[in-house]
Amino acid sequence: MHGTWWTRAMKGLPMAQSEQTVAIKVTEHGWLSTFQDLGREHSEFMGVPCGGAADQHSAALANILVGNHRSATTIEIMGGRFAFTPQAPVLISVTGAPADVTVNGEPVRLWEPVCVPSKARVVIANARNGMRNYLAFNGSLSTDLFMGSAAPEARMGFPQVIAAGQALELRTAYTGFEHPYLTQPLFRLPVPVPAFSPGPWTVDIVEGPETDAAEGIRELLATREYTVTPTSNHVGLRLDGPVVHPKGLGEIVSHGVPIGAFEIPHGDELIILGRYRTLTAGYPIVAFATKACLPMLGQACPGQKMRFRWVTHQHAVQTHREEQQRLMALEERVGNLFAAVGLPLQASTAPQSAAA
Amino acid sequence: MVSVAAGSAEERQAGSRRLREILLEVRPYGLQDVVAGVDSLLVEFDCLAVSHEQLAQTIRLAVAGLGLDGHQADGDFTQFVIPMVVNDEFAPDLGDVAAELGIRPEEVLGRLEASELSINLLASAMAPMMGTVQFPGQVSRCKEPRTNVASGSVMVAGTNAIIQPFPGPTGWKVIGRTPLTICDIHEDPATSYKPGDKVHFKVVPESEWALLEGQFLRAANARDVVDPSDEGTSHGAV
Repeated sequence: MHGTWWTRAMKGLPMAQSEQTVAIKVTEHGWLSTFQDLGREHSEFMGVPCGGAADQHSAALANILVGNHRSATTIEIMGGRFAFTPQAPVLISVTGAPADVTVNGEPVRLWEPVCVPSKARVVIANARNGMRNYLAFNGSLSTDLFMGSAAPEARMGFPQVIAAGQALELRTAYTGFEHPYLTQPLFRLPVPVPAFSPGPWTVDIVEGPETDAAEGIRELLATREYTVTPTSNHVGLRLDGPVVHPKGLGEIVSHGVPIGAFEIPHGDELIILGRYRTLTAGYPIVAFATKACLPMLGQACPGQKMRFRWVTHQHAVQTHREEQQRLMALEERVGNLFAAVGLPLQASTAPQSAAA
Repeated sequence: MVSVAAGSAEERQAGSRRLREILLEVRPYGLQDVVAGVDSLLVEFDCLAVSHEQLAQTIRLAVAGLGLDGHQADGDFTQFVIPMVVNDEFAPDLGDVAAELGIRPEEVLGRLEASELSINLLASAMAPMMGTVQFPGQVSRCKEPRTNVASGSVMVAGTNAIIQPFPGPTGWKVIGRTPLTICDIHEDPATSYKPGDKVHFKVVPESEWALLEGQFLRAANARDVVDPSDEGTSHGAV
């Protein structure tokens, strides 16, 4: 049952012949930057929330775009200015909220593989209409793991915070990319980029166990606008807006709560649970966000307006399936492209890090 | 969320514990994780690998095959004796708990020490949730939850006990503190205990705090934490 709880990633593994270790010098760390991945597997039965990137879509895409497994370790940047200089060429991608990304002062695009020359200064700043950016490097970032994952678990003493002055260790087979005409190769990839629109966001929801007991909540959620408040965090989004309290339920005994649950606690607010939620609670649940909408919730800033749209379970599953198919299609295209131009891919047969 | 349809509260709780065992043993295809509630089980699964209906059927079949009348093998658990220190600072709610139960504070502690507790589940941050404390009634939660309770705090609510593994908020009533570290992510595994293990609390004099402070609660056969006042007994597993 127990795998390795606490291991220096990559240590003790033989280094592939073609791989080298590259130091990444972090010069500015933004407001809060951490190592991050898609979270823990098989940890919640032990009382540890899965955690992981709040915007799983952007984190997975960042990795896919540099030829990594989706679950590879990335850097999650929450606001401010993050800057680094690699001591050798690296292949990166930046995804998430619209932001300004420059390499030696030249703007480069998000949601694309970017070839960074040795000793170039890379800056990620001015994120807008969203909370988080994900930075992936082709190869493997060296970091500690807890229950098989690099995701922070601050409460249990695993903060994973990255600070200016730190030198990160990257193991990569990428050694630079030469093209006869272009300094940046043009990759035309079918990348499903989320909208990050400035207006209200529409979140799909399905009914929850206490929807019917909260008389009028269907109409409220379907018609009114809700605003994300500043007390929101990775535990949950707190929203301002009209709520009704369910009647006749008595005391609800403590039960497991999934990510995306809409709780109405005793006060007049609505909480949408995030990936670092407390795993059990006794509050009524009046709706669930669909799986396909969770990444959007992970990007919501304080002040963001939201509207909700009731959908069926079948619709929710279908939307999730379509999104996964788009990611798989992109993986295939990146695989073919990288193979054709000789860029290194993380071996698809390599075993994924086993969760505890 | 899955729960056992009928029966008393006690039966539903036992049933959900058994259901958890069954699912962790059978590991139905598509199952990702489970979260135990008091009398229910949250089942997390990959809805692209298996449909709601398919998984529900697999669970029903597994339950029909293995039975809900738990047959957890006896002896498949570890016993722990966990020392705790009680003073004004460590036990701010002891007086309230005694008043609510209508017994003296010493008797509250006596009943806790006399109870053989079973770890029902690991709650938030691997906190061991235990039952059943032989109290004459139910202990209520704090009206205003505390925002920061020290790690090692021994707490009660209803007829359950729990230990706070890391500092943080809680609404449980605090009646003592263990000097041992019960969860440490640098250890492998991070806790020595698991659901199904048995726990006895033992109130020790404050003078022993310094000796025991910070030691990791060990699993079976580790005898590095010896209670000097009680020959032959070790804290941690016996």
